[in-house]
Amino acid sequence: MIAILWRFCCSLKLAIVLASAATVTIMGGSLLLPGNPRLFGNLDALPLGEWLRSAGHQALGRTWWIYLAGLLMVLLGVNTACCFLDWLPRLRSRWRKGGEYLIHLGFVLLLAGYLWGSVAGSRSEGVRLDVGAMTAAPGLPGHYLRLEELAPMLVDGRPMGIAGRVALLRGEEPVARATVRPNHPLIYGDLVAFPASIGRSAVGIRFRVPGRGIAELTAGSRLDLADGRTLRILDFLPQAFPLPGGGFARGGDDLVDPAFRLALSGPEGNLWQGWYRLNDGVPAPLAQAGLLLQPVEPVYRLYGLFTINRDPGAPLALAGGIAMGIGALFALFSFYAKRARGDRPEIA
Amino acid sequence: MLATKPLLIVAFIAYLLAAGLYLLHLRVRRPAVQRGAHLLVTTAFALQTLILGQRWWSAGYLPVTNLFATQFFFSWSLAAVYLYFEIRYRIGATGLFVIFLNLLLLSSAIPRDAALPPLIPALDTPLFTFHVVFSFIGYAFFAMAFSLGVLYLLQRRRGSALLPDLAQLRRLNEEAIFLGFLLFTLCMILGSLWAYVAWGYWFSWNIKGVWSFLVWLFYAGMCHAKFVRRWQGTGYAWLSIAGFGVVLFTYLGIGLLMSSNHPLE
Repeated sequence: MIAILWRFCCSLKLAIVLASAATVTIMGGSLLLPGNPRLFGNLDALPLGEWLRSAGHQALGRTWWIYLAGLLMVLLGVNTACCFLDWLPRLRSRWRKGGEYLIHLGFVLLLAGYLWGSVAGSRSEGVRLDVGAMTAAPGLPGHYLRLEELAPMLVDGRPMGIAGRVALLRGEEPVARATVRPNHPLIYGDLVAFPASIGRSAVGIRFRVPGRGIAELTAGSRLDLADGRTLRILDFLPQAFPLPGGGFARGGDDLVDPAFRLALSGPEGNLWQGWYRLNDGVPAPLAQAGLLLQPVEPVYRLYGLFTINRDPGAPLALAGGIAMGIGALFALFSFYAKRARGDRPEIA
Repeated sequence: MLATKPLLIVAFIAYLLAAGLYLLHLRVRRPAVQRGAHLLVTTAFALQTLILGQRWWSAGYLPVTNLFATQFFFSWSLAAVYLYFEIRYRIGATGLFVIFLNLLLLSSAIPRDAALPPLIPALDTPLFTFHVVFSFIGYAFFAMAFSLGVLYLLQRRRGSALLPDLAQLRRLNEEAIFLGFLLFTLCMILGSLWAYVAWGYWFSWNIKGVWSFLVWLFYAGMCHAKFVRRWQGTGYAWLSIAGFGVVLFTYLGIGLLMSSNHPLE
């Protein structure tokens, strides 16, 4: 009974039936992909398991074929694994078929890797990271990504990619550092991170200060004045939104109506604290202190929108790809030897 | 630097004359006619190789990044596969379909802009180069299998002395499928690696990715079907024809009828 079941599991005809059924299912189902961008548009933005639990589950009428194809592929994987295991003990006598069976092994590993990644992986797109700033690495507790440098790559004067330098830290300890650019992400274990797009945000204003030249005022900076007085920049809002009780809140990231929250202090203590909205002109306490600030230009800082994915199945899939690649090359070169020998396997 | 277009036109004329001679050879069974056709195909292929090498040298990368370049490279791959079978098995007019497909590709490529665009950083990787090379040579083997499949069915119905016997056609078809499948496997592996470093995942659900996987799965099934008695011969010939339909849809149909985020769309 077990022998019959094993022969069935290893059956060549079963492989053909499963592969054909999977091909027809995916072929038909995939034609729904372009016509339903709202449903299928984010299939690559999430691991398949997560997508099936959310969007896929809510539209079973249009996604059932993915479940069916998945089941058929798993069965095909089991069939392929059985076939490989059935061949393994006969390795010495049938080593010439090693290439083909390495392809079988590779396929099983790739399938297992994909399933694992689909269930246990995570994908995050559009994670904003300013130059010099850090963010928690999604899916990797206790780890942080720090963007150290970022710049657009120009081809014929047009931006065609992004290059930068990123560090991955465990706590405060760097565990990986990479120069990222197209096709060169930061890879650490099962984590892969790279900047998918680049942007810039206004972080302050450059002013001409009479008698002092140009000064760059950004949140956290300070301007040391004569007589031991200091102007500290507490906050900068590129788009100031007036609050009913006075003061401002952040209205957006676009440089539309900028405002600073400032503190002027001297040896005797705090002299003044308040808002300087550029459209309203220099506040009186600053003017009286001789700080007739003249805005020159905005100060921008680059940021990257990062894709940060984790795929625990990726190393397994890589092993599968390597096995399959070696198998394909071996099968290619052994093909002629087998032809010359008239080595043809049994016909089912 | 040699001019691409004039050389390509010369190659096109050589292929056209070769096709004419092969057709003539079907009526006038003279070895000199076949030798002439073979010489013309070899000359045209040598010219294409020269153009390809020169463009590769000038660009600093394998130029397969626009429609002209991919059609040209596919045409070169078809000629290479044809010559492989011609030199190995003296298939002669049996590969005429491949020559016709080659002419079709060249006639579509020649009017297009042959300028070498700057390589965008996303395509600047050997993974891309080898992915494309294996993909098109794999496609070329599948085109040859299609041709052999059609001729198998023709031979079965007509029993013509002009064509190789059924056993030979079957063997050649199986060889074309097997070699094409192996090369396409390498193409898929390199494409997956490239996708991983470029997008952060190695399998994409974009329509081109899905259909490329279907091409692989279909031909993987065919590599098994040749061991099943019922599928040998006629069944296998029909599968070769259907398989090339899947290839054509993947290469051209998706680009023309649908949108995809594949880098070469």
